[in-house]
Amino acid sequence: MGRTRAVVLAVALAAALVLPFAAGPFWMGLATQMLIFGLLALSTDLLLGHAGLFSLCHASFFAVSAYTVAILQVRYGVPTALAAPAGLLLGTVLAAVFGLSVRTRGVYFILVTLALGYVIWGVAHRWSSFTGGDNGVTNVPFPGAGPLAIVSHTQYYYLVLAIVAICMLGYRVLVRSPFGLTLRGIKASESRMRSLGYRTGVHLYAAFVLSGALASFAGVLYVYYNRFVNPVSASFPISVEAVLMAIIGGSGTVIGPFLGSGIILGLRNWVSSFFELYAAVLGIVFIATVLWAPAGIMGIAGQLRARLGRTRTAPA
Amino acid sequence: MTSTILQAINGVSLAALLFLLASGFTLSFGLMRVVNMAHGAYYLLGGYIGLSVARATGSFALALVAGGLAVVVLGYLVDRFLLRRTGENHLAQVLLTVGVAFVIGDVALRIWGGDYLKVPVPVALRGATELPGGLVYPTYRLVLIALGAAVGVLLWILYRKTQIGAVVRAGVDDREQVAATGINVDRLFVMVSALASFLAGMAGVAGGAFLTLYPGAEWEILVYALVVVIVGGLGSLGGAMIGALIVGLLDAYGRWLLPEFSYFVLFAPMAVLLLVRPRGIAGKEA
Repeated sequence: MGRTRAVVLAVALAAALVLPFAAGPFWMGLATQMLIFGLLALSTDLLLGHAGLFSLCHASFFAVSAYTVAILQVRYGVPTALAAPAGLLLGTVLAAVFGLSVRTRGVYFILVTLALGYVIWGVAHRWSSFTGGDNGVTNVPFPGAGPLAIVSHTQYYYLVLAIVAICMLGYRVLVRSPFGLTLRGIKASESRMRSLGYRTGVHLYAAFVLSGALASFAGVLYVYYNRFVNPVSASFPISVEAVLMAIIGGSGTVIGPFLGSGIILGLRNWVSSFFELYAAVLGIVFIATVLWAPAGIMGIAGQLRARLGRTRTAPA
Repeated sequence: MTSTILQAINGVSLAALLFLLASGFTLSFGLMRVVNMAHGAYYLLGGYIGLSVARATGSFALALVAGGLAVVVLGYLVDRFLLRRTGENHLAQVLLTVGVAFVIGDVALRIWGGDYLKVPVPVALRGATELPGGLVYPTYRLVLIALGAAVGVLLWILYRKTQIGAVVRAGVDDREQVAATGINVDRLFVMVSALASFLAGMAGVAGGAFLTLYPGAEWEILVYALVVVIVGGLGSLGGAMIGALIVGLLDAYGRWLLPEFSYFVLFAPMAVLLLVRPRGIAGKEA
């Protein structure tokens, strides 16, 4: 099985590398978005898939870092080398504040994070003298540091691909570490972990802040791709879609959220080309996922593999 | 001084509306352990249907009832065919009802369009009323406060003083035990759920007459109702009442004093609560 996985990964990586030559700018744009929103979905899944917390405020970190970068670069002419880390930092600081919500569990956590996320949307929407209101901040340049500057969408695609690949590797190390194991222990039974002497609150808080940092990272990548940012990026649908992506792809895996992101974004592009009611279709996808595919693509793949394995070993 | 008092009445009238929505949400969670994120969409749909009925018949009372009843039917179908299949999995419930809300919102957008629409109010409620002390205040909002108070009192009597209420309270505390005594819990659920839907639909008509109806209103009002429920404590009717007053008043003064940060004002009660009392003022085990 290890070899099969290595082959699949190698093929996927090769396909990602040749994509700009093999396909047109439309597919490259879609792939860039898929990577960026997949990273956002991955960040929510650190909480959902490993710690068992269902957050509905990740668009906040995404948007705050995007706005920070946009405002610093466009209005104050701050170079990328400072603006991008500032965006990452501010998003993470917000996560450190919103991380208070790990004092609640279950339904309360869901409702509190939803309401917190709404506060950020409200600020982006209403504080128009600073955030630009509904028009947002436009004309964000491509990122560049001294002589190293991105000048085309193809270059930016490769940059995003490299960064996302590094993030995926780092994420894999993180969830396989004792810390990741502790989170899954808390997900399975918090009271048991606590009686074993783990400070579960501190672990969940750390997971929340890390997850927020990853979402902020996605926000930085997003604003340089999109070249503008408006309150939509902070809105509730972005948060809940990120969770849906993680679940459709397969919660608790590294690849799953990216698969889910590809499916949702692909569906959006395809459906909205011939049908007006895209939001209704998305709503039906939500319902169908819950009813028929709660374990997502990776879950279905796992079941198929288990079934194939059984039939293969049965005659022997 | 005068504006301080006027803002207080503004806050209380918003509180009355939020109470209509939050009481249904909190009761259905308390009894059925169901988190229904489509509550905001129920509000919006009830409001739109009430708007069409009011335009066709000219009767505001009929609009209130029609908006409420239409949502009762829809809510029953969602409960019966979708929510029942999620068991007590809150994650599944949230995703499912968010999906339902997206569908309702999008369909409503195609039917009623994207403009800000206002449910017409009967002539008798259109003007302003002079309050003792020389204050002049829109009549409609005063009536809304009365409506909220009346619903609050009725719910309280139903919940505390009748046999049905006693069974519901028992169900909130221990559902299996109630079922074991031979009470038809399923029928109870249908009744409470219908009541919650009716209140949401009616709130849509009542709210649509002064907050207007537009795409996206479903999420805005839902978040306000959720903050009410978070502050008050899930499953508590009294908590919903206190929460509604806190949120209504904070919002009114926030809009008046800090217009650019009016949403931010909502953050304050939640932050205090998270630090001091994560279960809300009157909350039970979640």
